[in-house]
Amino acid sequence: MKITIENKEAKFLLRIADTALILGQRVAELCSNGPFLEEDIAQSNISLDLFGRAEELYKIIAKIEGDKYTADDYVFHRNEREYFNLKLVEQPNEDFAWTIARQYMHDVYVQEVFSQFQSSSNEELAGLSAKVLKEIRYSYLHSKDWMMRLGLGTEESHRRLQDAVSHLRKFVEEIFNWDELDREYYQDCDKIKSNWESEVNATLDACNITREDIPSQSMRDYRDGFHSEHIGHLLSIMQYLPRAYPDAKW
Amino acid sequence: MDKFQEAFDEIIEKDLKVEPRDWMPEEYRKTLIRQVSQHAHSEVIGMQPEGNWLLRAPSLRAKQVLLAKIQDEAGHGLYLYSVAETLGISRAETIEQLHQGKAKYSSIFNYPTLTWADIGAVGWLVDGAAIINQVSLQRTSYGPYSRAMVKICKEESFHQRQGYEIMCQMAFGTPEQKEMAQDALNRFWEPSLMMFGPHDADSVHKGQSMAWKIKRESNDHLRQRFIDRTVAQAEYLGLTIPDPNLKFNEETGHYETSPFNWDEFWNVVKGNGPCNTQRLDHHKRAHENGAWVREAAAAYAAKTENKVA
Repeated sequence: MKITIENKEAKFLLRIADTALILGQRVAELCSNGPFLEEDIAQSNISLDLFGRAEELYKIIAKIEGDKYTADDYVFHRNEREYFNLKLVEQPNEDFAWTIARQYMHDVYVQEVFSQFQSSSNEELAGLSAKVLKEIRYSYLHSKDWMMRLGLGTEESHRRLQDAVSHLRKFVEEIFNWDELDREYYQDCDKIKSNWESEVNATLDACNITREDIPSQSMRDYRDGFHSEHIGHLLSIMQYLPRAYPDAKW
Repeated sequence: MDKFQEAFDEIIEKDLKVEPRDWMPEEYRKTLIRQVSQHAHSEVIGMQPEGNWLLRAPSLRAKQVLLAKIQDEAGHGLYLYSVAETLGISRAETIEQLHQGKAKYSSIFNYPTLTWADIGAVGWLVDGAAIINQVSLQRTSYGPYSRAMVKICKEESFHQRQGYEIMCQMAFGTPEQKEMAQDALNRFWEPSLMMFGPHDADSVHKGQSMAWKIKRESNDHLRQRFIDRTVAQAEYLGLTIPDPNLKFNEETGHYETSPFNWDEFWNVVKGNGPCNTQRLDHHKRAHENGAWVREAAAAYAAKTENKVA
């Protein structure tokens, strides 16, 4: 199965859907590995929201594309270079600080994204956004609370959060390298960037995390299907069954 | 007999519930702590064999249903640790006992989930067996435990349906899928039956637990109910119960089975099953890796509470 996507809006939405799916898969890794039971349950909730969001977005994409493929086809039958998620969300759970820093930076971003989708001319997308924003709000409050706890908790938690933020900030630059599709389907790209920066900078200051200057990165853009090496491993695990048993129905 | 003992006996006699603040015999408390903490650990350790397939679930739907299910198990663990707390033992102590090997969990979770069909078999057979036991425990004499069971049973019946749905997909799927389904049934059948514990004649704690109404029905009684119910379900799937001696006894109205391999059962209970070390190590590792997170949360709470004061 070779999946092709023709429509511009579908291509654009695939970025948003893939970002939700890949982060959902990463967060699911926390299941039975959380620092305590309540947090294990919270991470499962966040992961479930992300999978649900991805599924709804793939359905919208499938509809735009004339139902040539199902949501599961998009998930299980595309290769590394055919995935268009932010590199930020495929980064591993090195420790809980990485999980939190990654989630927080993502949540602030998608809060802006789905706020703008609320006035999309695509009614399904606008409708979905209202529901999704409630979920993002919960996840955002959760990740922000943990930013504070880790940043201001103990020396060790501060050091770990600082390391995580310093690593992950390298994957932020590409988020705001807007292309034509972004400019067509967002009402205001610049606002996404300025709101993200003011919110994240304020939180990093409040939780005592420093922002070192990061030189401009030459890691090529996620919009062209460029990734870190992590993506291949994530996909090979996630796609194993449908790939190994192509005739099976699940 | 003192008045406290008399009041307790009356609660049991009248089928009322013993509540945390009521006086209870020390042995009653100990028995419950052992049973409830074992139950809590089973829920939590049980997350691992299912979690083994979470990242490989073959559809978006299967992924979400399985994750929601495992999340429920974590929630059941939470209720049950809270029930244990009402008996005077903290969650930290309970977990410490698990790590030291003093507290057990259901031996079924020491078996590996080797294929996706095992996720079906675990839901169908393991949760199926657990429900039969837990439905019976809704009438247990300790109030908080009984109420936890009522809530848990509602979710468990959804779990069993999730498992049976996977078994249907597999059994009615491609020949390879059907083979996986039969293989899963072959491996999980007998261990599921042994989940109900030793035969009544060999059960150490049975007499007193029944007298105190902690336990309401005997192991063999519950096991028989499970067998009778499950054989028909396997027939519908077109799968064969892996027991050449399985037969329906017209007189009793029950199925009869071959004797179980109790040597294997006890050896796995003692720690020598396929995954005992792996399961415990996984739990210890997650707990140890989370220590700095729990410390950070406590330190932050202390700092911000001081600020308010």
